[in-house]
Amino acid sequence: MKRTLLAFIRKEFAQVLRDPRMKMMLFVMPMIQMTVFGLALSSEIKNIRLAAVHAPDDAAARRLAERFTSSGWFLPVAAEGRDPAGLVVSGAADAVLVFPAEGFARAAARGRGAVQLLVDGTSVTRARSVEAYARAVFSARAAAAAGLAPAPPPLSFDARVLYNPEMESPVFMVPGVMGMIVCLVTIILTSMSLTREREMGTFETIVSAPLENREILLGKTVPYVVLGLVNAALVIAAGFLIFGVPVRGALWQLAAAALGFVVTTVSIGTLISTISRNQQQAMMGGFIFLFPAVLMSGIMYPVENMPALLKPAVYLDPLYYFTALLRNILLKGGDPAVFARDMAALAVMAAATGTLAYKRFRQTLN
Amino acid sequence: MTFFDPRRAAAVARKEVMHILRDPFTLVLVLGLPVVLVVFFGFAIDFDVKNLRLGVYDRDNTRHSRQVASVFESSGYFLPEGASSPADAARGLDSGRYSAALLIEPGFGRDLGRGAPARVQFIVDGTDNSKAQAVLGYLPGITSAALRKTGAPAAADPVPLATRYMYNPELNSRWFVIPGLAVIIIGLLSILMTALTVAREWENGSMELLLSTPLRPAEIIAGKIAPYVLLVLGGVFFVNLVARLGFGVPFRGSHPLFLSGTLLFALACLSQGIVISVITRQQQLAMQLSMISGLLPSLLLSGFIFPVESMPPFFRYFTMILSPRWFMEAARGITIRGAGAADLALPLLALCGLCALLLAAAFRKFKTDLEP
Repeated sequence: MKRTLLAFIRKEFAQVLRDPRMKMMLFVMPMIQMTVFGLALSSEIKNIRLAAVHAPDDAAARRLAERFTSSGWFLPVAAEGRDPAGLVVSGAADAVLVFPAEGFARAAARGRGAVQLLVDGTSVTRARSVEAYARAVFSARAAAAAGLAPAPPPLSFDARVLYNPEMESPVFMVPGVMGMIVCLVTIILTSMSLTREREMGTFETIVSAPLENREILLGKTVPYVVLGLVNAALVIAAGFLIFGVPVRGALWQLAAAALGFVVTTVSIGTLISTISRNQQQAMMGGFIFLFPAVLMSGIMYPVENMPALLKPAVYLDPLYYFTALLRNILLKGGDPAVFARDMAALAVMAAATGTLAYKRFRQTLN
Repeated sequence: MTFFDPRRAAAVARKEVMHILRDPFTLVLVLGLPVVLVVFFGFAIDFDVKNLRLGVYDRDNTRHSRQVASVFESSGYFLPEGASSPADAARGLDSGRYSAALLIEPGFGRDLGRGAPARVQFIVDGTDNSKAQAVLGYLPGITSAALRKTGAPAAADPVPLATRYMYNPELNSRWFVIPGLAVIIIGLLSILMTALTVAREWENGSMELLLSTPLRPAEIIAGKIAPYVLLVLGGVFFVNLVARLGFGVPFRGSHPLFLSGTLLFALACLSQGIVISVITRQQQLAMQLSMISGLLPSLLLSGFIFPVESMPPFFRYFTMILSPRWFMEAARGITIRGAGAADLALPLLALCGLCALLLAAAFRKFKTDLEP
């Protein structure tokens, strides 16, 4: 490697790291974000506010309602003298149990009537879990509360959850959030770098330096790849140390996945910065890439069910592969066949976006 | 010198409009991008977990065990495939070939036939919590279907539990996703727009020029924000048009209430952008800060998909400083539930408070700069 190139890379590093505020945002913010998202997010539904509407002297209904509260999923809401639907409409309760007017025990003894469950359907995911939890508590406890002998279930499933048996949220969220943060940092750094130099006129100086096109591109990207990798390492270390996210696969697999991903995002960022005419456009370009990439990463909703027509968009999302790789390596121990498949996809993307960025870059120079 | 002269603010606004019109890119983006994203993700996001590949190892191989396996298939959620051994099923889970596995031991059919408790092992891939939870949620329904199919004596509930979902009886994902998506996109674009335009003026020195004129900070801020408020309202209009006509999302509440909520939210986000630009005074940092304070927090902490109610107490309070969290609640309440001003007093007041706070912060930062 030529000395000039090394010097150029050093200059680029110095330029990025000169501003202490930038250093903060590069190294401290990702940690804070990791911690916040890792601790705050949970796909489990908790604190469901449940009101029970029954006759004041209906002891069986009250007993059953207490069972709901003691299950830990539900918080009781006072329902005295209020209209059941009104409790949901006003937002006072997420769900309302309406017991038969004749009394729960009597209805159960005669085997007639029904307990109605009103669920607020505004939040679709929450509504579904509310109903599933309510049904589970109801099936297990209703007979005993009504004073009938509970029959053992003739058929039951012993359900076991692999890889994350306690279904701890951080173990699931952290690998996903890691990818998002690394993606965000690298795209923001690179999508504006060239546009900025062009706008400020310093680009001319670089072009007139004794460097080949290839070297200028290397000098403009290598520092960001390095920074991206440092960031990835920091974030993974934080996940391991703070949240106890297991690292069951090999470290070289992690390194390879991070390298493939960072090269891809740095190339995409460089591409954006060669296309945009000013920094505002570069930022919008960054947004247009980041927003769908984050949404389709497989964290927010199950992407496997996307309509066939839109599915190819998922296969173009580098974050989708990186998230899949992280989960596979960290939680499953890095099954070689799956690793090879996702890694190959990332490598192809890195090569394709890298070439494209180089072509565009040459055009911009000439 | 007056503290605020509307004519001078209007002059700043006129200048900003000229900036926007000169670069039609911004205009097209703010009006068009939200619609494109809402249409795309309106179709794409569906929380139903379907077509799960299920590895079935049936060592019992009786009529009853085959019936149980077939119930999984007819539920529409699972695609059963035969696994040759429990180890094969485990490998399938490792490699991601299966999302779940069903292991039926010998004696299952006999037990079920004579009414003894019959058990089946069911193993779920836990690398994706939300998926695993959805899969486990299907089990009660499958159990009762399997009991009906095999004719085993069902331990029925003493009385049935009848569920009714209010406001969205079919639990249509789109009614949930689209209003939320609109909030996030509009909020982010608002932050980004003002953050960058003002940071650019600092960077190329034209802000110094503005400050040396008789313009007061309040006038500059008002003039900078006003054109973008109109632009944002235009974006919201088109998004709602698409949501209602294209996706059939209901609008059950009051339009004036929705409009005032939107105004408050747009103001809060635009002021957040101004605060960012005044702090950073550099476009790259401004983008960094807006993306960090805007993109991930609004996607993950606003209640868009992950419910705020399920967060630990500290973070439930923490989300209160995010304007999208409040407008998310208000927008969904107004469109889907038809909630009125009284029901939404808390989110609307919180939005007012955040708006005032951010505007005050922007104003103060400007002011200290003017009078060192």
